[in-house]
Amino acid sequence: MTALLERETAPAEAPEPSGRGGLAGPLLKVALLGTVAGLAVWAAFPLIAERAWPGLAVLLVATAGLFYLYVGPRHIPAKYLIPGTLFLIVFQLFPVAYTAATAFTNFSDGHRGDKQEAVVAIQTASVTRVPGSAEYALTVATTGDPATGALTFLVTDPASKVVSAGTPDGLKALPAGDVTVNAAGRVTAAAGYTLLNGGQASARSQEITDLAVPTPGGAIRSQGLSRAYEGKAGRAYDGGCDCIRDTTSGRTWTADERAGAFVAADGERLAQGWRVGVGLSNFTRLVTDSAVSGPFARTLVWNLIFALASTGGTFALGLGCALALHSPRVRGRALYRTLLVLPYAMPSFAMLLVWRDMFNTDFGLINNLFGLDVDWFGGAASARIAVILVQLWLGYPYMFLVATGALQAIPAELSEASRIDGASPWQSLRRVTLPLLLVALTPLLISSFAFNFNNFNAIYLTTDGAPFPADNPANGATDLLITYTYRLAFGGSGAQYGFAAAVSIFIFVIVAVISTVSFRRTRRQEEVYS
Amino acid sequence: MTKWLSRVGWRHGVALLALAFSLFPIVFVVSAALNPLGTLSSTAAVPTGASLGNFANLLSGTDFARWFGNSVLIAGVSAVASVFLSALAAYAFSRMRFRGRRVGLLALLLIQMFPQFLAIVAIFLMFSTITDLWPAIGFNRAWGLILLYLGGALGVNTWLMKGFFDTVPRELDESATMDGASHAQTFFRILLPLVAPILAVTGLLAFIGTINEFLIANVFLTDTGAKTLSVGMYGLVAGERDNNFGMFCAGTLLTAVPTVLVFQFLQRYIVDGLTAGAVKG
Amino acid sequence: MRIRSGVVVAALALALAASGCSGGGDDPETPASAAPAGGKLVIWGDDKRAAALKPFAEKFGQENGVTVEVQAISKDQQTTFVTASQQGSGPDVMVGAHDWIGNLVQNGAIDPVQLTAEQQQSLAPNAVKAVTFNGQIYGVPYATENLALIRNTKLAPAAPATIEDLVAQAKKLKADKKASELLCLQVGQNGDAYHAYPLFSSAGGYLFGTTAGGDYDKNDLGIAKPESIAAFKKIQALGEKGAGALKRSITVENSIATFTAGKCAYLVSGPWAITDAKKAKIAYDISPVPGFAGAKPAQPFLGVQSFYVAAKGKNKALAQEFVTNYVTTPELAVALYQAEPRPPVLTAAYDQVKGTDPDLAKFVEAGRNAVPLPAIPEMATVWDPFGKAESAVIGGADPKTALTAAAKTISGQISQ
Repeated sequence: MTALLERETAPAEAPEPSGRGGLAGPLLKVALLGTVAGLAVWAAFPLIAERAWPGLAVLLVATAGLFYLYVGPRHIPAKYLIPGTLFLIVFQLFPVAYTAATAFTNFSDGHRGDKQEAVVAIQTASVTRVPGSAEYALTVATTGDPATGALTFLVTDPASKVVSAGTPDGLKALPAGDVTVNAAGRVTAAAGYTLLNGGQASARSQEITDLAVPTPGGAIRSQGLSRAYEGKAGRAYDGGCDCIRDTTSGRTWTADERAGAFVAADGERLAQGWRVGVGLSNFTRLVTDSAVSGPFARTLVWNLIFALASTGGTFALGLGCALALHSPRVRGRALYRTLLVLPYAMPSFAMLLVWRDMFNTDFGLINNLFGLDVDWFGGAASARIAVILVQLWLGYPYMFLVATGALQAIPAELSEASRIDGASPWQSLRRVTLPLLLVALTPLLISSFAFNFNNFNAIYLTTDGAPFPADNPANGATDLLITYTYRLAFGGSGAQYGFAAAVSIFIFVIVAVISTVSFRRTRRQEEVYS
Repeated sequence: MTKWLSRVGWRHGVALLALAFSLFPIVFVVSAALNPLGTLSSTAAVPTGASLGNFANLLSGTDFARWFGNSVLIAGVSAVASVFLSALAAYAFSRMRFRGRRVGLLALLLIQMFPQFLAIVAIFLMFSTITDLWPAIGFNRAWGLILLYLGGALGVNTWLMKGFFDTVPRELDESATMDGASHAQTFFRILLPLVAPILAVTGLLAFIGTINEFLIANVFLTDTGAKTLSVGMYGLVAGERDNNFGMFCAGTLLTAVPTVLVFQFLQRYIVDGLTAGAVKG
Repeated sequence: MRIRSGVVVAALALALAASGCSGGGDDPETPASAAPAGGKLVIWGDDKRAAALKPFAEKFGQENGVTVEVQAISKDQQTTFVTASQQGSGPDVMVGAHDWIGNLVQNGAIDPVQLTAEQQQSLAPNAVKAVTFNGQIYGVPYATENLALIRNTKLAPAAPATIEDLVAQAKKLKADKKASELLCLQVGQNGDAYHAYPLFSSAGGYLFGTTAGGDYDKNDLGIAKPESIAAFKKIQALGEKGAGALKRSITVENSIATFTAGKCAYLVSGPWAITDAKKAKIAYDISPVPGFAGAKPAQPFLGVQSFYVAAKGKNKALAQEFVTNYVTTPELAVALYQAEPRPPVLTAAYDQVKGTDPDLAKFVEAGRNAVPLPAIPEMATVWDPFGKAESAVIGGADPKTALTAAAKTISGQISQ
């Protein structure tokens, strides 16, 4: 009695490995864990070299966690879930979290980096050549070791032919006897200096571009590896007033932390800005800006219709074909199946482009073949029909495949029984087959709905939202929320990622709510049948 | 005769209609691919004058062969790996009861619904660091892209598989356990072979999805030799207002070949016994 | 028993790892350290340029003892460049059109280049002006492109002086069944501002006003002004409800193909169309895009292809060397021309090749009145709404409504 009880509770814990085939398992485990450890070690070396201690800590904790999980006998579900979840977290959740965080910033063109980067960009962009200054020929050299020694610019003034050595301390003329100059004016040898070749100079690229030799008029900087010029920075950052000051005119632009830009007294902004947090302003813009929110509702309705029509239409077509070919009396079924599935095998983005060309009013295949003269993408209704037609073509083979398999899983006895009970084929289809199919396929239908709701390519590559009403070039009749967002965010003066992120969250909430509600309803169904 | 028509003939009719609908754009593509002039307006629905010139240009003038190899490698490896990861998770969801199981299932469905606008920026952020530290899995490397695609392994496919696992009776598990098998042995030796059809379907879907994926591959693979088919072919057609339509169609047809082959190979698994849920008696 | 097996497994695994330790240690690539002794330069461009650049890049590499990698971005070149640069994975040199400059500067993605007076004089002046932004030169131009009228000389032996002449000639050809389309000027469902601009400017329309200094003024939007509306009225007269010369069904995909198939006698396109015309063995001639009778001459946009130095590249010194000192040599300019026939900006190179290629001079002549594409960032807001207004008007919509709506969208975007 107790032995039986023991047996029944045994599955809750990992049982002892039996002798039969017992060695292969642990061996494999050892090999896999060893690979994990080896990978961790391989990954650790660059981290150590870079002194990336947080990264190294994460790596060690993760490896230790994996070892604990797979060596110990507990946490069995985790053993199966962790591999996939690990990838999910790193490559799917991280972008989602990043998007969510970006929605609260003004991340966009002109506001991509931080303030320091903006200051550097402004200063670099303001360096101009001192008028009338010499255009030097340059050779980069060093007084010590090519990899670490102090850098010197050996510059030749083309007018006076004087060679000077430039360092951060200033320019010093070199005696003519110490240097050899080639025909172009560049120094080819100099006493006490080692000239850097292309490779060595590349290794110290940053130092070379940073080096500025001070002169009375400004500073001598490199322009490549063979020329130098005397330049003056027109604008400089003044930490005292947290502003950019123009050195000639004295005009200032003060940092505006709320806007993430340098603004002058008269409102003029410098082009280079930086990213700042803006709280909820992206979301409020979505709701309050009438140009954005006005068409939103209409687009949402069409989006829903499109997703439903695509999912429902492909399902109906696919199911219809599957039912038609379901009888064993149809010969050549395998051939039919292979051919019917071909649209699904063709690369979708290529076929979308082909379909777009087929709908061309004057030259397209559809109008020419059927003798029509429909301006497909010129009218709202015809464009919508066209787009759904393309989706049907692309999607029904998949539904056909799935429905075929599902149909074969339904035991023939069920439909036979219903026929014996006197039901017509249509009734047995509706009352017996269809409910069973729907239970099985509902998760697929939900995910197909979600996919089509956000099916960017389907619209972008065919109509790109056309037709557009004459009074609103931003929102077209076939626009989905996602294509509309894309145009709003990336059609303006540069990409507006922060705003796009806010709209993404918005769209996601809509889709998630719809999916969750449908999911809840299928759960009830599942429990009825499983 | 009428009996045949009413019983079987109409089935053929439906199938033929569907076939016509399915195939006419493909016939158009074939026609363009074989058309020696290779431009859009010179192509009609039915092939006129056949020539393999476009195919020859494609293979010799571009890196098509390398793109093909890259695509097959990347799609193949990531399909197999994501099927495996998905199967592991599906087994856990189906057979085991743990906290957060229902939420986890729903989460899998929802995460992939998030519009991926900023995925590109996030990927650059992540992979810039990765390429600096571990170039072997960084930009322009097939392995980096494969790892990235594995992020999408858990999703709707896990759902499909879970449903399939649910149809395998628990008694099988229990009798195996009583014979002394561990959960891993049950999984690998008993369940996996039984769910082979769904593994085949998921593998095919993953393969097709990866071959078609374009946006991420475009920014990840910039070296011409490292590109996949979708990126390389987009460059052909979008490149500089040229009319490479014939070559583009030739490339499209060739791209479809691995998918059709995989489908043929997996057909016997897919059709025989593809149950997608709790339908078995 | 359980505990013991666990320990055994862990121990064996660690042993395996330890053996892998030595393997992991001598990883031949030490990416964290500085670039290998040879030095590396990374150049990005689109597919066509990358292919053309490869041999010269390699030559540069050999001369300087560095490795040069040329990579092609198939789509969204500008966005990918800016995004990658910001994260530190960008190239050292970027090849692109000059109208990117405003956006690249506001993102701090490119650095100005200092050309000597001598170098500036050796380049065509309108190209140098095109790459100047806020008083600084930001890129080194190497080729220009502009639209011209390419006509099938068998069908239309004489160049039309005005667009009305062209339409009259084309109608005659269509009536004689020698051509099926009047004019191959691409419009598409969503319009094409670049191709519409010559006619738009001839009829008096303008996009942005210019400041005293000659730069474009983003506050002076000309789209909804009466001159532009009048210009659109003229364009509408040529559209589907009018003469039928401008049609939305002629798109970027079929415009050139229709011409090379001999179905239309007149094509408005750029140097890229010539290769296809030659392949189809069409006898062609090039002339400037004709304007409206009694109006200003048509002003096509001038596009200048340039090399940029990435501000956040890893090897800026070498990038500057490549861009300012190597690209400006005649050999490279001629070689780039041979890979892709566009008029070179370097006057010496242009003189060298114009003798062998009569088309070049004609394109340059057609570009005599060309205006450089505005490089200000605000220009990006203009393309889409302007194109859609154009296509709406060609389809028969009211020009005033369409343009006012476009202007509203554009100014809304600019003020963001």
